[in-house]
Amino acid sequence: MIKLSSVFWLVLVSLTGFAMFAVKYGVQSLEDELNRAKRATIAEEHAIRADEAEWAYLTRPETLDEMNRRHLSLGPIATKQLRTSVIDIPLRFAAPLVADAPVVSVAGQPPESASLTVPVSTIAPASPEKPAEVMEPAKPAPAKTLAKPAASRRPRSLDELIALVAASR
Amino acid sequence: MTIATEKFDDNPCRPRHFKPPPCVAVIPDGPAKQAIEACRTRLLVTGGLFALVFAVVALRVVEIVAVGGGTAESQIARFRIVATPAPSHADIVDRNGNVLAATLDSPSLYANPKQILDAAEATNKLVSVLPTLGAAEVSAKLTSGKSFVWIRRHLTPVEQYSVNQLGIPGLEFEHEERRVYPDGDLTSHVVGYTGIDNAGFAGIERGLDGVLRGRREPLQLSLDLRLQYILHEELQRVIDDFTAKGGAGLIMDVNSGEILAMASLPDFDPNHPIFPDPEHPAVPLVDRMFNRLTLGVYELGSIFKIFTVAMALDYGTSTVTSTYDASHPIRIGRFTISDYHGKHRVLSVPEILMYSSNIGAARMAVAAGAQRQKEFLARLGLLKTPKIEISEVGAPHYPAKWREVNVMTIAFGHGISVTPLSFATAAGALVNGGILRQATLLKLPAGFEPAGQRVISAKTSEQMRKLMRLVVEHGTGAMAAAPGYVVGGKTGTADKVSGRHYAERKLLSSFVGVFPINDPKYLVLTMIDEPHPNKQSHGYATAGWTVAPATSRIIERIAPLLGVWPVDESSPEVQRALMVESLQGKRIEAY
Repeated sequence: MIKLSSVFWLVLVSLTGFAMFAVKYGVQSLEDELNRAKRATIAEEHAIRADEAEWAYLTRPETLDEMNRRHLSLGPIATKQLRTSVIDIPLRFAAPLVADAPVVSVAGQPPESASLTVPVSTIAPASPEKPAEVMEPAKPAPAKTLAKPAASRRPRSLDELIALVAASR
Repeated sequence: MTIATEKFDDNPCRPRHFKPPPCVAVIPDGPAKQAIEACRTRLLVTGGLFALVFAVVALRVVEIVAVGGGTAESQIARFRIVATPAPSHADIVDRNGNVLAATLDSPSLYANPKQILDAAEATNKLVSVLPTLGAAEVSAKLTSGKSFVWIRRHLTPVEQYSVNQLGIPGLEFEHEERRVYPDGDLTSHVVGYTGIDNAGFAGIERGLDGVLRGRREPLQLSLDLRLQYILHEELQRVIDDFTAKGGAGLIMDVNSGEILAMASLPDFDPNHPIFPDPEHPAVPLVDRMFNRLTLGVYELGSIFKIFTVAMALDYGTSTVTSTYDASHPIRIGRFTISDYHGKHRVLSVPEILMYSSNIGAARMAVAAGAQRQKEFLARLGLLKTPKIEISEVGAPHYPAKWREVNVMTIAFGHGISVTPLSFATAAGALVNGGILRQATLLKLPAGFEPAGQRVISAKTSEQMRKLMRLVVEHGTGAMAAAPGYVVGGKTGTADKVSGRHYAERKLLSSFVGVFPINDPKYLVLTMIDEPHPNKQSHGYATAGWTVAPATSRIIERIAPLLGVWPVDESSPEVQRALMVESLQGKRIEAY
């Protein structure tokens, strides 16, 4: 009996010791992993800070202005481009785009759309220069500003591009 | 225990089959017994000692394993390589979150020459990746025999990487920080700059050093980088066009006191403030560091007339219909007060402001009296040093004894020097309904209007708006008009003081513009120092020809960014809001 209990205690002690060490090393490796993660996080934070500063440097107004001059040639918004408020912009169905004008009139437009009363021929050629005036239902633009035919060239500014897109619809 | 063992043992001829009786300890008597006892004691003591040592070891093992062995050293050893600490100074950002100042890691490279195996090779390699280093200098450092020499402070990440790639033993990095200003000179006078240990030397960096230190989230300024750029660019353009010495400008929200842009030219790059400006190498450092808006005090000239008119209207010493004789110059003491482009007739109050009549303004101020004038300027905060978040502020100069001649000259902005910042703050109060609010460089919550102090009545403020509109509509500020944005303002062209006299042909031209003047939101102040006439300006260097057109361009560019919608200036509502009753039906003479 004595021998049996000695064996039991021996086994128990070794098992406990083993478990203790196993847990200890487990914790240690987890701590190491945590440390690695913390270090990586801090390193990332520093990298993000550096990237943010670099982004700020690359997008400073001076650079953007230079880039714009070289690639986009956008200008400040002129007062005349801001003449209408959102409310003044007609809803889509009431805004006969140049190319759609004859079709829309067939589809039966509300009579208040004044631009429909203008003969199609005066607005028919796409007007790349003045899309906003075509959109204005109340007072159709004078024919002479619209008379320019759509030239098949690359748009030089965003205005022209928008006008071309509007005309091609 | 009494069996005598020696009886068998001492017999060498004992037969093999002889089996001794069961072994029992035979305790001999005498000296043998003593020897055995001694043995046993020693054995016990030794065993006990061993047991003790093992017990100590076991306890230590249990302590380390179970309790955690948490001595400080062991923890430090494990955590030592945890990365660099959080930055010591918070970032500075503009009102939209664009970074204006950031703290970046900037490792510094040092060497332990005692550990360098081959100094010549190390020198060659180092110079190959850091070309700005001098080979002779590095070689001298590496063969110095010291145990610590700086090779280079503040490396970029790429440089650090390439030095690491060299794999030279004995080279180490020290963690250091560096303030970086991505926008360079654009916000130099507002943000300021720091020294090598990140101590603030100017601007917000100095004024709010304590706030920035140890703060984690970025500090948000009221500046808008886009407006700042536009202001900076337009000012530079005016300075170049009129070959001026310098210029300054600010854009302010008149209802909250927030400064949306503030530029003083010439300026400096806070990343390396002491380097000469590559574009203008001749401009001395002192000039570039000088903030004309907050530190500089100037006799601003005719733009001060808005205060004279507001004072007279608010105290009731004049009304809009009052008239003053401006047909002859005033002679007082050794001074002669005359008009620049005089009408030589009796002028009404609106006309005095419109045509910028010095004589009229002087007479108006004399009618109100010195006491009222001084009290009024003090109320507007023009007689004390302005308060703002940056530490470069200038104290105003004004006469200790307020005599009649001072009353007259102060009426048109001579004989009193104030900072343009104080001027803008006070001018904002004249148009915003009469509430003076302290200017700030920190962003306020949207729509928040800080408590201010009423300085003039709402009615006077309304009259001032109408009169300032007249200046742009018909008067000296006509070129400041930005159609659709209903600009109102006042021009000012002052002779500069040089020594004890006013200098000939040395002007300080300024313009204060407010838009939309029927519902004032923003104030634009522009100022140009010693402009020279050019061909386009027909020989003029006055405010109406220099800064007024610049203000018009600035307003046209910034208004869409600020969400100010253009209106039809001839529409009945706008006309009614800005109508000056006394001028109705009269023909307004052009300036």
